[in-house]
Amino acid sequence: MMTERMGLIVTLAFGLAVWPVGGGHATDAAAAANGTIRGRVELRQAAPDPGPQAGVADIGMNAAHGPTDRRSVVYLDPAPRAAFDAREDLRPRMDQRNETFVPHVLAIVAGTTVDFPNSDHTYHNVFSLSKTRSFDLGRYAVGRSKSVRFDRPGIVRVFCDIHSHMSAFILVFAHRYFSVADVDGSYRLEGVPPGTYTVMAWNESAPLESRRVVVPDAGGEIEMNFSLGRR
Amino acid sequence: MLIYRPARRLLLLLSFAATVGRVSAQPLPEGPIGAFDGRVVVRGEVIAAGSSADDIAYFNYTDYEHNALRMVRLGVSGVYRPASWLAFVGEVRSEDLQHPTAYAAYARVRPWRNRPLDIQAGRIPPVFGAFGRRIYGNGNPVIGYPLAYQYLTSLRPDAIPATADDLLRMRARGWRSNFPVGSTAPGPGMPLVSAFQWDTGVQVSWKSGALDLAGAVTNGTLSNPRMSDNNDGKQLSARVAVTPTVGLILGASAARGSWLSRTVTPGAEPAQRALGADLEYSRDHWIVRGEAVWSRFAFPTVLAPSTSRAVDAMATWIDGRYRVTPRIFLGARADRLSFSELQGSTATLPWDAPVTRLEWGAGYFIQRNFILRVTAQSNRRDAGRVRNRTYIAGQLAYWF
Repeated sequence: MMTERMGLIVTLAFGLAVWPVGGGHATDAAAAANGTIRGRVELRQAAPDPGPQAGVADIGMNAAHGPTDRRSVVYLDPAPRAAFDAREDLRPRMDQRNETFVPHVLAIVAGTTVDFPNSDHTYHNVFSLSKTRSFDLGRYAVGRSKSVRFDRPGIVRVFCDIHSHMSAFILVFAHRYFSVADVDGSYRLEGVPPGTYTVMAWNESAPLESRRVVVPDAGGEIEMNFSLGRR
Repeated sequence: MLIYRPARRLLLLLSFAATVGRVSAQPLPEGPIGAFDGRVVVRGEVIAAGSSADDIAYFNYTDYEHNALRMVRLGVSGVYRPASWLAFVGEVRSEDLQHPTAYAAYARVRPWRNRPLDIQAGRIPPVFGAFGRRIYGNGNPVIGYPLAYQYLTSLRPDAIPATADDLLRMRARGWRSNFPVGSTAPGPGMPLVSAFQWDTGVQVSWKSGALDLAGAVTNGTLSNPRMSDNNDGKQLSARVAVTPTVGLILGASAARGSWLSRTVTPGAEPAQRALGADLEYSRDHWIVRGEAVWSRFAFPTVLAPSTSRAVDAMATWIDGRYRVTPRIFLGARADRLSFSELQGSTATLPWDAPVTRLEWGAGYFIQRNFILRVTAQSNRRDAGRVRNRTYIAGQLAYWF
């Protein structure tokens, strides 16, 4: 499937990004200003929601939740050496609400622990069979939360064992140069040292796209737009 | 080229199993395929099961030709949703690559946008019980079916015994029974509840909070779901389920319908009555389910020398699954099917041979929606040519 193939490519890219090759591309960061890469990611064709199907009695039912928030993620590959120096101690959460994972797409730095609270009045069973990080949190009720630490870069597909229509993505990066696009597709990568990079745009329902970008010594803003999916 | 059925089945299993090796390189779809902005959704299912041959005990036969432990089943279902309040659902299935049949074909209407009331008409999902309302691929902890939903009793909708002795002679012969009244040709009997066909009629369901209600009027019966009616009596069935606390579901079902064909009993409409109770409890990595089904089959005349005009059957089972790791789970089911006693001319016996079944095994998630299962199933029957039989079975189940 296209998404899985992309996953393989992205995983590879993430893996390579672990190695700080920025010295070969970026100029001396101390003598130059950092730049910002910003723009929009447009999705040409949105994937439809299949709707719930917990049992045969539910076949054909309308989705109980809203449309899936399939946001894109933009990241540098490879990342500048400075990206690997500092680590922020964040504790992001992926909520289970109205039989939906919120957010549907989460991007984190390797080594981050993610909380999975259950905000529904029904059981959920968060699990993943991904090679990057497989886990099974079991069934737990409203008000409870379990957590998972993600140490390896790559893509983690998250599912609920009870509600087959629930799915999410966690993108684990070896660096901090990534941005989850807004609802309107806009993204912003800040503090990028001068140098030549490849900017990657990922979305679960479209092939991965990449562009070369040069951040000049003077820094400044560089606009880069993506249009993902088949024409 | 002529390929005999066992060889053909083996070839199919091998070719299906061979795809497993390719999965890591090119994973199969993980979800339904949508088109036309989500108004059309297509789902599919491929199940290939194999076990040692059973051409004498027939413990797992679903009719005269198909064995639930040695079956290749292909299914494709589609949902067309032209409006938010209307959906058309259809499913076509083929067992052992025979002619595809319409398993489901119904329209689903939600008359009020803010009320969780649905009306379905056509070949509709079952109302009675819990097992038949689950998706088989992921909902079954083992390979085999519960006895109530699969095991063939000797009763047939197109033939009946004239005496108690006629019925007692067919004990443990549900795979191919014959009686003197009605069709005299041998044929397969019926389970208490069929899991292999859906009935035709109208269903109303209402789901809100902790309460789940459903009721239906259909052409057939639990034992013999039908496309067209074979008598003048409709079946009424209903189910209520409550979730008193998260993780616990309690259900109760009832059904009543005329079970004999009009060719057997013109003018009379003896009924199959059934009651069911089910529970499900899950927590952490455990899920435990239990179900009991009681069914009474009435006859148009007394089964002499007894004074009975009806026979009863009772099935109870409990099954469970424990997920050891994200990919590996253990599953087991203990199952018992028993029958009421009937007085014959020489002895008083259960009208069919009681069966006890134990099945246990393990499963491996190759992909979220692609499971490999291996189980051992032990069967014990109180009568018949073969009373004990254990099967080792393997299954690949894939759905999207």
